[in-house]
Amino acid sequence: MTQDHTPPQLRMLAPENFREKLSRRAIFKMGTAAAGLAIVVAACGGDDDASPSTDGAPDTTDGSPLASGDWSRVINAASGTLAMYTWGDYNDPELVGKQAEGALGVTMKVDYFNSNEDLITKLSTSGGSSGFDIVAPTGPYIPQMIEKGLIQKFDKTLIPNMVNVDQAYLAQGWDPTNDYSVCKNWGTTGFIWDSSVITRDMVTWADFFDACMDEATGMCSVLDTGPNLWGAWCWANGKDWNSTDAADLDACEAFLVDELAQHIKKFDSYPSTAIAEGAYSLSMAWNGDARQAFYRIIEAGGDPSVWKWAVGGPVTELWMDNYCIAAGAPNVEAAHAWINWECVPEISIQDLQYHGYHTGMRDMPDLISELAPDLDRGEIIFYSDSQVATMSTQEITSAIDRQVEMLNRMKAKAGA
Amino acid sequence: MYTRDRRRWRGPKFVLAIPAIIWYLLFFVIPIAFVVIYSFGTKDTSRLLPVDLGKLTTANYSEVFDDTFFKTFKATLRIAIVATLLCLGIGLPVAYFTAFKVSEKWRVVILALVVVPSFTSFLIRTVAWRIPLAPNGEFSRWLVDLGLIGDRGIQLLETPTAVQIAIVYNYLGFMILPLFVALDRIDVRMREASKDLGAGRIATFFGVTLPLAGPGIAAGVLLTFIPMCGDYVTATVLGGAKGNMIGSMIASQFSQAQNWPLGSAMAVLMIGAVLLVLAVGALLVSVVPFILKALQPVTQSIRRSLNEHSMASAKGDLPSTARRPDVMRFVFAVWTVLVLLFMFIPILLVLRHSFNSGSSFSIWAGHTSTKWWGELFASGATWAMIIRFLVIIGVVLLVRRVLLSRANVSKRVTSWMGPLGFLLAFVVNGLASDWFRDIFDFAGIGDSIRNSFTAALGATVIAVVLGGLSGVALARRPGAWTKIFMATVFLILVTPEIMDAIALVTWFQRVGDIPVLGYLFRNGLGPFNGGMHKLWVGQSLYASAVVTLIVRARLAGLDEALEEAAADLGAPPARAFRQITLPLISSALIAGALLSFTLCLDNAVISTLVSEAGSTTFPVALLGATKSTIKPFWGVGAVMLFMITMGALAFVAVVLRRSGESSSDIAATLAGG
Repeated sequence: MTQDHTPPQLRMLAPENFREKLSRRAIFKMGTAAAGLAIVVAACGGDDDASPSTDGAPDTTDGSPLASGDWSRVINAASGTLAMYTWGDYNDPELVGKQAEGALGVTMKVDYFNSNEDLITKLSTSGGSSGFDIVAPTGPYIPQMIEKGLIQKFDKTLIPNMVNVDQAYLAQGWDPTNDYSVCKNWGTTGFIWDSSVITRDMVTWADFFDACMDEATGMCSVLDTGPNLWGAWCWANGKDWNSTDAADLDACEAFLVDELAQHIKKFDSYPSTAIAEGAYSLSMAWNGDARQAFYRIIEAGGDPSVWKWAVGGPVTELWMDNYCIAAGAPNVEAAHAWINWECVPEISIQDLQYHGYHTGMRDMPDLISELAPDLDRGEIIFYSDSQVATMSTQEITSAIDRQVEMLNRMKAKAGA
Repeated sequence: MYTRDRRRWRGPKFVLAIPAIIWYLLFFVIPIAFVVIYSFGTKDTSRLLPVDLGKLTTANYSEVFDDTFFKTFKATLRIAIVATLLCLGIGLPVAYFTAFKVSEKWRVVILALVVVPSFTSFLIRTVAWRIPLAPNGEFSRWLVDLGLIGDRGIQLLETPTAVQIAIVYNYLGFMILPLFVALDRIDVRMREASKDLGAGRIATFFGVTLPLAGPGIAAGVLLTFIPMCGDYVTATVLGGAKGNMIGSMIASQFSQAQNWPLGSAMAVLMIGAVLLVLAVGALLVSVVPFILKALQPVTQSIRRSLNEHSMASAKGDLPSTARRPDVMRFVFAVWTVLVLLFMFIPILLVLRHSFNSGSSFSIWAGHTSTKWWGELFASGATWAMIIRFLVIIGVVLLVRRVLLSRANVSKRVTSWMGPLGFLLAFVVNGLASDWFRDIFDFAGIGDSIRNSFTAALGATVIAVVLGGLSGVALARRPGAWTKIFMATVFLILVTPEIMDAIALVTWFQRVGDIPVLGYLFRNGLGPFNGGMHKLWVGQSLYASAVVTLIVRARLAGLDEALEEAAADLGAPPARAFRQITLPLISSALIAGALLSFTLCLDNAVISTLVSEAGSTTFPVALLGATKSTIKPFWGVGAVMLFMITMGALAFVAVVLRRSGESSSDIAATLAGG
């Protein structure tokens, strides 16, 4: 999954007048306005019946080809309610609201979790009657969810738009045949800080921990997931976060619990709102949430220019979240319809503009330059090959319980 | 006694309590027993229920006593004790002022103002505290501009202080009401006698008023302290890492850490800790008279000097004594106004932020916008709903008037038509037309409001039936069973909600293995579809315990002669129950129903854990949203929920007054009198 990237400068290549033209067309096609939905459906040539209509020919509405290659834009209608259990702020509210109702005929209900463990507990304690149709686990957690019978197999004929997903993001180790999952989006982990408080340069995870215990003491938030904290410690200390070395785990726990915990203000997986409220001056964050923080800061009347974002160095995480269908899902038909709809390039890019994560569509640079040329703060979304090369994907090892326990002890210590 | 026993059906004494006994056994005793068993197990995440009961161990308990976890225990108890004392300190003057210093009219107004905030969603009020506490918020900036605080603004958000403030706020009403009722019941002659005998104001308060208000204080302390200990919402929303409370820590053991044995051990110890604190508190209270006696020489000398002072001023003329109470009264009045303002701050903020032009509820984006409210009226469904509602109510009132004009229609019938009409309007609107969904077609918030009402109504019905029957049985047919039953009820009241929640979640899964019942729970039929039944079960536990106590207290204060007379006159038990007992306890049932309904409507902890996606209630959905960004339409939803609830209550109140029930009587019963 390290192949694709979109250098942020790409969008700067288009001449100003051309960009404006594109932008208008893009808005027209994307139907960001509520009424625009019908246009999307029309433009995509999708029918209410499930007949596939691969629209390889140049886009008929404005006569220009959309990016390169063939795009599948099947939209299957469904009905009823569709319940999704996902991470916070993970879809454009318009998409899960009016647009889903208009295009798919389903009313979406969205609930949120903080960590994969929360998701697994919710599904396993309800014994197949959680009522959720779609869940969005991170890749490495999928095998155990299959094993415990928490998610069910796709009917792939109902997700023809999966061909739009870049091969690089399909057939991952956790689900080589994509029978259970398809990439929702991928992202990375870094930190965002107030440069008026922390004036020095911040590059590595060591810098992060250092600032957290120094300038930002008591004003620092970290992600509310065990593996991420273990990872950050490993990356700061030149270790492999997929190792199960007992000495490393002990050393990490000692550091997190005895040294770092007392400086933490909150274990917060979605710090963007609290950053804007002024609660933190340094936060460990996923890139999309960090991007949203900038918008929140502006909304709160703050100065976004003092806030800086960095992908943690020298190594950081590359994670991929996936759409899966929960076992016992009440509305399997709608679940397929939704996942398939999310694989339509226009919808995918609309979502991307909101949540700020790479959605795994192929030809991403072309898609962006055509559909979202004005994309803001793309540098927080897309990373160059050399940056991606520094990112490492989590594996679920025998140490996972230990990593989660570490977080718990750390929480207990931080509160004391 | 002999004749009564002969005529009554000779079932076991607890026959009326049988439904409650089965219910508690099935959904409290057994599930909690499982949690206790889990606490001796070991964690095994490879299983669906991640507990290995193969080798039992007490290691989990020693882990809780480990320094790091134990500190959170102590911090939680500290926050709860401090908050309880603060509630008492803040609430007592308000209750005192309301009970003794104002006219009947103002008394009603103040009580209403105390109660009204609790009909706004508990969760949204807690979230609303983020607004004034935010370092970058307007309030903070004002203070900075005024030079009152440093440049970085208020640094309270995500701290224990924020939790302390919000928790006092959240439970203050539950303290003031019982205090008021207790003070209000004090015979004024006692206080007058004390003063006539020469006791001063302070001596009268501490020597007469306070001891007589003892039961009210005890009720208030119980009603605030116990839920505070298990509170999970306030700390989660406002507390940050340092304001962590045991409730949220237990919850995260179950969900995130998947360490059920440790979580269970924590929950068991927590009940122990709550009971211990209550025992110590009771001991302290029982010691107070002795301390007072020991201090008598001191207090007497103080009293004497005070008396001389007041006697001296009284000697002159009356106006001087009349002036001093005025000063005191003024001080109390100012205090009461301040407290009421405090109680309304978050509500006003919720209202204002529902007009926020920005995309986040707690961040004020500079100017007002009606876009979130606009969605409400955009589809026309809201108007249709309002019209439908008014028409149905109107028709019912008309029919009632017609019936009233005929002499042969019993007043009891007509008096119940109002609430029935309201219920009809509600059912027609809510269930038949899907208006909740229509008016909020955004992310299922309308559904959540409807689910909240369906869940709360169902749970309230269960609570009233179970609690009413067992309350009667407790008061009228006491026996050996009473003690065990009361112990269970008390245990339900002191068990932290989070433990009930966990017990039920794991239990519901096991229930799946029981024939018939398991089939209903797994596959769902009617109400068993979509998880609503789990909410009814979960929410009814605490509510039914409350109703039980209220009904029992009501009957205990009433002479049994009426029922005996009915029996002597040959009325069969069922008829005596219907015609004598039921009317006697009706105000208690109504009070219990109102209290249950409010508690259930706000229930977040149990509901979050047991709900399924199809039965998400408003607090559950909002609690989920707090993990992400809370959009301003949640404010709109909360205001709507509030207005619907208030409308319902106002209607009930009007009807009650017409049907002759004294609202102050109900208020009294409501507050545990």
